[in-house]
Amino acid sequence: MAVIAVTGKGGTGKTVISALLIHFLSREKSLLAVDADPDSNLPDALGVKPRKTLGEIREVFQVSRDDMGTMNKEQWLEGKVYGEAITETDSYDLLVMGRPEGEGCYCFANSLLRGVLRRLMRHYDVIVIDTEAGLEHFSRGTISGADYIIVVTDMSKKGLATARRIKDLSQELKLNFRKIFLVGNRIMDGMGEEEIRKFADEGGFELLDLLPYSEEIARLDLRGDPITKLDENSEYAVKVKKIAYRLVGDSNG
Amino acid sequence: MADRKKIEIPEDVKKIESVGEEEDFPFDISPMYEGERIRKGEMYVELGGTEQPGFELVMALPAEEVEDMKVTIVGPDLEEMEEGKAYPYAMIYYVAGSQVETDLEPVIERRNHDFQNYLEGYMHLNQRYDIWIRLGKGTVKKGLKSLGQIAKATMMLFKNELPFIEKIEAVYITDAALVEKVLNEVAMPIYEERDARVEALHDEDVDEFYSCTLCQSFAPTNVCVVSPDRPSLCGAISWFDGRAAARVDPEGPNRAIPKGELVDEIGGEYTGVNEFAKEESGGEYERVKLHSFFEYPHTSCGCFEVIGFYMPEVDGIGWVHRGYPDPAPNGLPFSTMAGQTGGGKQIAGFLGVGISYFRSKKFIQADGGWYRVVWMPKELKERVAKYIPDEVRDKIATEEDAKTIDELREFLKKADHPVVKGVVRPVDGKKITEGWVEEEAEEEEVVEEAAEAPAAQPAVQPVQPMQAAPQMPFALPQLPQLQLPASQPSGGVRLVIKDAKIYIDKIIIKKPEEKKKGGK
Repeated sequence: MAVIAVTGKGGTGKTVISALLIHFLSREKSLLAVDADPDSNLPDALGVKPRKTLGEIREVFQVSRDDMGTMNKEQWLEGKVYGEAITETDSYDLLVMGRPEGEGCYCFANSLLRGVLRRLMRHYDVIVIDTEAGLEHFSRGTISGADYIIVVTDMSKKGLATARRIKDLSQELKLNFRKIFLVGNRIMDGMGEEEIRKFADEGGFELLDLLPYSEEIARLDLRGDPITKLDENSEYAVKVKKIAYRLVGDSNG
Repeated sequence: MADRKKIEIPEDVKKIESVGEEEDFPFDISPMYEGERIRKGEMYVELGGTEQPGFELVMALPAEEVEDMKVTIVGPDLEEMEEGKAYPYAMIYYVAGSQVETDLEPVIERRNHDFQNYLEGYMHLNQRYDIWIRLGKGTVKKGLKSLGQIAKATMMLFKNELPFIEKIEAVYITDAALVEKVLNEVAMPIYEERDARVEALHDEDVDEFYSCTLCQSFAPTNVCVVSPDRPSLCGAISWFDGRAAARVDPEGPNRAIPKGELVDEIGGEYTGVNEFAKEESGGEYERVKLHSFFEYPHTSCGCFEVIGFYMPEVDGIGWVHRGYPDPAPNGLPFSTMAGQTGGGKQIAGFLGVGISYFRSKKFIQADGGWYRVVWMPKELKERVAKYIPDEVRDKIATEEDAKTIDELREFLKKADHPVVKGVVRPVDGKKITEGWVEEEAEEEEVVEEAAEAPAAQPAVQPVQPMQAAPQMPFALPQLPQLQLPASQPSGGVRLVIKDAKIYIDKIIIKKPEEKKKGGK
């Protein structure tokens, strides 16, 4: 099992990259896609209609738990996650974490979910998690760690600053990652390229690749079409495919 | 009690029987298969689930009735099933052993989930009448032919892992009519009986309680003790959950607490709980009474769903839940009270509880239970209304009846709430409060606070419900150990405070001439 967390400042294109990684990797591997960014739209990018979110199930649990009698609550939650939250597509499974919890205490619900997710995740070859930069689900422990962290940045200073924060946070949270990568996205000129190379060098990131601005993606976005419709022979798709194979190769070796 | 007897199998339904242990299984058996999800595309058949009825049931029977390691398949077996389809499914186990009792049935039954998930290519989800099974194509290809093999492997695991099971027999049913019939006539009454037992199970019926330290990162000295009559403060963990968690991970956040000796039956004090509290709070607390509001109450973590607060002006207890945004009659909203009480403190006068504690037969029984409750938000009251004794239900005010102490006092007087004339606690018939004193003292609304007061002024104890009368000399009950130095009777000051809401974190009163020895 290899857990790949794709993160970065909002708007840098991490969901596009996540979706393409999922699209390519699921052809060869059993894969679980996790949308761990309440603001993102990974299911849209994948062209998948999601079922219930984990957050919705947790809310149902909070209101119905008093009437469960001697029923086992962990098994109840597991049944809901497997039966109502996981969306099966032809080539992979998708789990949407949903909105953060409301008022009240979620210690027990989260503790049970942690166990359920840990047992679920170990059965996939690859797990791709699209996560917001605050890494909330990691800090809460609902997702226990990541082997690879891919930080997506554009040419903006803010994107790079967020990348640095994510690296600090991942170390603080003891995610036990094997590698932290940087991907430059929508890089339009040599200056941006140079800037990002320098940043990766100094910040201790391994630079995976620099992806160009893609008009085709902008068009897909505008129409609300899934990113997975991107022409596989386009420069962008070829580069992401290369990243995908590289990660899988890495996890095998 | 619902009858425990073997299922009658109609003559006209096909059945296959097999007795004895299996040598080899065409599938691997290991805990590493737990959590394995069989996807629709990899599925050979689905059993139970959303499309077909299904259930699982364990019944304890006398040893002579159970034929060890026998399995009976009633209805079509795997080879007669069509790939990709869903079928009805019942798994019934008869178990026997000198220690096997009816009480253990649900405990054993829950393990069916664990053991069946050890089987490669077999996904078991949910419980009771909700079970959902998927069998993988891969395992069928590897040679799985009959559900009997599944039953034999499961029974083997039951006997290995739970050695108190001396004999076990399985009946698996896939015949639709029979699954429905046994579910309705046999299984449902047993499930209902179990749920009824939850209400009937009390602290005195068990040997162990369970701890919960999930919150200790926020509340380091919090010691949640979960007993049959007292669920966790967050409302999430019942005694049954504690037991389930402790069995899976005995060193985890939910550990068994041996009860030890009973110290105070009414307050719910046990030596085992006290020892545990001392240990887990780092020595901060030495005693905890599970069903007491005033004396050594349970600590409050910060996760609690509801907070109880004592109102000395009416000598009664109010409750407010997290979702109620307005101030309670004591002038404080939930958040303020929670802020003062949370963090694992033991504070006489405030108590955090889970909503399900209102269902408890021992609900703050040492302090009068429901007969001491004077106020709660309407939403909360409606949620727990059926657990309130008829006698007092209408006498407990909501925000529609009273928003302030004055309004509350009026309401209680009109309703003739027990606190007005004195509360007799139902548990032993003892009169525990005196009731309100004469009208005059009340209407004056004088709070006497004594600084360097005459020695006649008694030292104020944190909260003594017995003396809690409307003119109690302090406004908020959380004042910790306020001890006034008994000073010389000269030059006393009389403070009259009207309509004041006082919040005091700490009062330090020192004699000016003896600075170093001053009380604190």
